[in-house]
Amino acid sequence: MITFDVGTLLPALSPLIGAVVVLVLDVLDTRGQRVHYAIAFIALVIGMFGTFGALGAPTGDELRTLCLPNGGACFYSATALSTTLQLAALLAAAVTLLLAWPSERADETGRTAVTVSLLLAATGGAVGVAGARDLASWLVTLELATLPVVALAALPGTRRALAGAVQLVTTSLVSFAMLALGAACWYAATGSPELGPGPALAATSTPQRGLLALAVVLVLGGIAFKLSLVPFHAWTPTTYAGSPLPITVFLAGVSKVAALAALLVFVQAVTQLGRSALIAVAVLAIASMTLGNLMALRQNDVVRLLAWSTVAQAGWVVVPLLSVSSFGARASAGYLLTYVVATLVAFTAVMMTVSVVGARRGRDLAAYTGLVRTHPWAGGALLLALTSLAGLPPGVLGLIGKIVALRPVLAEGWWVVGVLAAANVVLGVAVYLRWVRVLLQPAPEAVQEAMEEGGTGTVTTVTRVRTHPSHLVALGIGSAVLVLGSVQPELLLGLLG
Amino acid sequence: MALTLTLVVPAVVAVWLLAAGRRYAPRTARGLALIASVVTFLLTLVTVALRTEVDAPWVTSLGLRWHFAVDGVTIPLALLTAALGIAVVVHARGREPGRPGGAIGPSGGNSAATYYACLLLVEFGALATFFARDAILFFVAFEVVLVPMWVLISRFGDDHATERARADASNRFVLFTALGSTLMLLGILVLVVQSGTSDLGLLAAAHGAGLSAPTQVLVATLLVIGLGIKVPLWPVHTWLPPAHTIAPTAGSVLLAAVLLKMGTYGIIRLAIPTVPEGFHVVAPFLAASGAIGILWGGLACLVERDLKRLVAYSSVAHMGFVALGLASGTQTGMQAALFGNVAHGLVSALLFFVVGGLKERWGSADLTVARDALRDVSPRMGFALVVGFASALGLPGLVGFWGEFLAVYAAWTPAEGLPVPLFRICAVAGVVGMSLAAAYSLRVLRLVWAGHQNWTGPVGPAPRRSRRDDAHGAELLVVLALVALVIGLGVVPKPLLGATETDVTVLVPRSSPVGPASSATGGTTVEASGP
Repeated sequence: MITFDVGTLLPALSPLIGAVVVLVLDVLDTRGQRVHYAIAFIALVIGMFGTFGALGAPTGDELRTLCLPNGGACFYSATALSTTLQLAALLAAAVTLLLAWPSERADETGRTAVTVSLLLAATGGAVGVAGARDLASWLVTLELATLPVVALAALPGTRRALAGAVQLVTTSLVSFAMLALGAACWYAATGSPELGPGPALAATSTPQRGLLALAVVLVLGGIAFKLSLVPFHAWTPTTYAGSPLPITVFLAGVSKVAALAALLVFVQAVTQLGRSALIAVAVLAIASMTLGNLMALRQNDVVRLLAWSTVAQAGWVVVPLLSVSSFGARASAGYLLTYVVATLVAFTAVMMTVSVVGARRGRDLAAYTGLVRTHPWAGGALLLALTSLAGLPPGVLGLIGKIVALRPVLAEGWWVVGVLAAANVVLGVAVYLRWVRVLLQPAPEAVQEAMEEGGTGTVTTVTRVRTHPSHLVALGIGSAVLVLGSVQPELLLGLLG
Repeated sequence: MALTLTLVVPAVVAVWLLAAGRRYAPRTARGLALIASVVTFLLTLVTVALRTEVDAPWVTSLGLRWHFAVDGVTIPLALLTAALGIAVVVHARGREPGRPGGAIGPSGGNSAATYYACLLLVEFGALATFFARDAILFFVAFEVVLVPMWVLISRFGDDHATERARADASNRFVLFTALGSTLMLLGILVLVVQSGTSDLGLLAAAHGAGLSAPTQVLVATLLVIGLGIKVPLWPVHTWLPPAHTIAPTAGSVLLAAVLLKMGTYGIIRLAIPTVPEGFHVVAPFLAASGAIGILWGGLACLVERDLKRLVAYSSVAHMGFVALGLASGTQTGMQAALFGNVAHGLVSALLFFVVGGLKERWGSADLTVARDALRDVSPRMGFALVVGFASALGLPGLVGFWGEFLAVYAAWTPAEGLPVPLFRICAVAGVVGMSLAAAYSLRVLRLVWAGHQNWTGPVGPAPRRSRRDDAHGAELLVVLALVALVIGLGVVPKPLLGATETDVTVLVPRSSPVGPASSATGGTTVEASGP
């Protein structure tokens, strides 16, 4: 009988059970709206509690479950690294939920159950893939993390949304094809469905080790689609700009965590990448950083700017993997944490601005002029998030993240990559300070008065302009993590073990 | 405890001003900033006297410790920073944004609090850099000053310049400096990874033991290039003149007198003691760069029209002397560099205060506009200008002389293993640079202090003789204090040279190589003989 430890599996089970509960509840009573969101939130919080058991454990400690009888392979394990990524995914999903929370105006479409259950399913997949230790669960959970997001992106039904969703679905399918092929190569090389160091080590002495190298390259390519690495990034600006903003937040947060978690599972199983794979990683990383920063410099639409910024940051996330030890994996996850926190806070501030000045104006960079004066909390949080993404104080968390990411690169002697990454730090500073300059400029008078009066309809198309309390809660959570992380980065990095 | 408070006070008050300062009147904001800077100065005195130290774990995953300490090399720079922190706040009275006569920045509403907060944050970052004893902590503190100074230049910069010029100057500043500090980070990380520790004391004591020669050269190259952008060394100095032209007076003073020192301090702390063989290889390039910078700056000043840009180029020239002293690799050279650091800090602060005041009165800093002689209109400002430029040209009896003279002396007899002909050529270039400095200083004094006797250019507006023309009150106090220090340390350099002497022997163990007789004249003369 296969072992089944609910405690260890709780982070993955809780969102999935929550999705089922929401759907059942919708069958029983079709009028519920906020209650769906509330159930989802509770499910995510329960999942977060489930992660506390394994956080911060020393490297090498793992909790295993779903094990075959008689000491067979285990299909799920929780290390400090994977559990921290699970916690990050759950927290990012909770923030997304808060941002998508329906306002007082009733949602006539009656689609809340669908939205919430899709969100929970995708989160469940993201959390599950971090713990997956065999090919089948790895592939299934990764797809579970991807496909519901396509549906979520397409739900509004507008042309832009559908364009973005189509790009996303074609990208996901190509990515899945590469991943499936990579999984097949792994199985052919090692003869075992278990994603562990043992089978890989055994395979390196056989003639099938070429297949193993091929598996690595294919998996890298497949994940590169999901992480938005160049040249697999083309879907990112279109999808981010076309989808509803909460779904963009989900794509930028949870989906990236899922992608990196999947990659780390595979990389830690393979334990050593050949020279050609390492060069491929280096080229992908530097190309992503450079192209992402250069394109972001030209954007005036803040969502597209953040989309290209995601492409650049994906390069930074991958660059520590040039050191394929657990050292590199932890550095990569550490950088991802700093990126997720800062990007979520930035998107929250964007959503708050959009809800005040309307969707069309709120996406233009000029709408943020003087935000630190007109809305100090959102403006201050955005300033902190942008400086963190740039890697400058007061965003000390991002600065520490860049140090964490560069250390493995230099420890392995990749000098050229290091110097190119340094040049990209400068480009990144240019990108984010361009927005910060706008934030610090004096606020235009009209908007200022509108803010002070409580802002009823200045030049907007929205009849009621008011900050949603759920947005404020999301901003509070994000900013608190960012500030605490800047003062004491060990709080985040120490979780990784 | 005192050390932590010294750092915490300006940071906390700055954050308070940023968060809640919107509602404060400029006077309240200034009062708060003044109290904070005075308290910081007193705490710095206490810290320096007690030589306190604080060492606590901060980010254990990186091995980064919250480790600050005091030694002889730190003391003069920390005191200079804390004193100038008071000076800029005092000097800003009546000049904050949003007030009539505050010629700073397009102000929408009351932004005086942000202005003072940025000044305090720059002071916090500089103090943290000078006290830091962990290599990665040094880097973090180094970065703290970037955004506040960027805000000072771009948001509170010269009103008369276009938005585009402000953006360009501030972008150049932040991008060049970010590139420099990231290259420095690369060097630090290689050093830390290869040595296994990031503690600067341990790294200095090890003197590069356990590091192969190619690694040392790589680290030294990365560190010197990265820090050289900040110093600024020729040819990566091009960010400095626009930044100075656009920055407000307080920003210029802090930029020249504090931020540039962080670059040379970084070389002294990070590069020279930790990778001596690598630095040995890089030293000739550093010397050549310094020498070219001296000549380049001097030549540029001879034809420069904008007075603030002229002082900026003279900064490049003075830091060239400091670089020359460091490159020589001897204890005399390092003493010269440390002295030159403080000297340049005092002189450039004095010059930027005076020139900033002149720019506000004239409306521009253009030298080609004929104006009445400063000695007639504003005799006190004129006196301060004379002292400032006389020190800039290296007149004996003023503080500028010692740094330059000792640097040339040290370059003439560099440490063993260094190419003597190259260094002697650099020393000659230094001397030529000193005469160029005399030429441009006297040019400025002739044009500004003595007035245009034979000028054929356009005539400026007739001066209204009013009380505002000359320095009074806060401005006079600050300027006179700096003049007193310039003259005082020039006549009696012993306290400053003596303070740094012991720790220099730790950082540069080998003294001047020419023989025992000359080590009596080279190394020890510097501390024993005094004026």
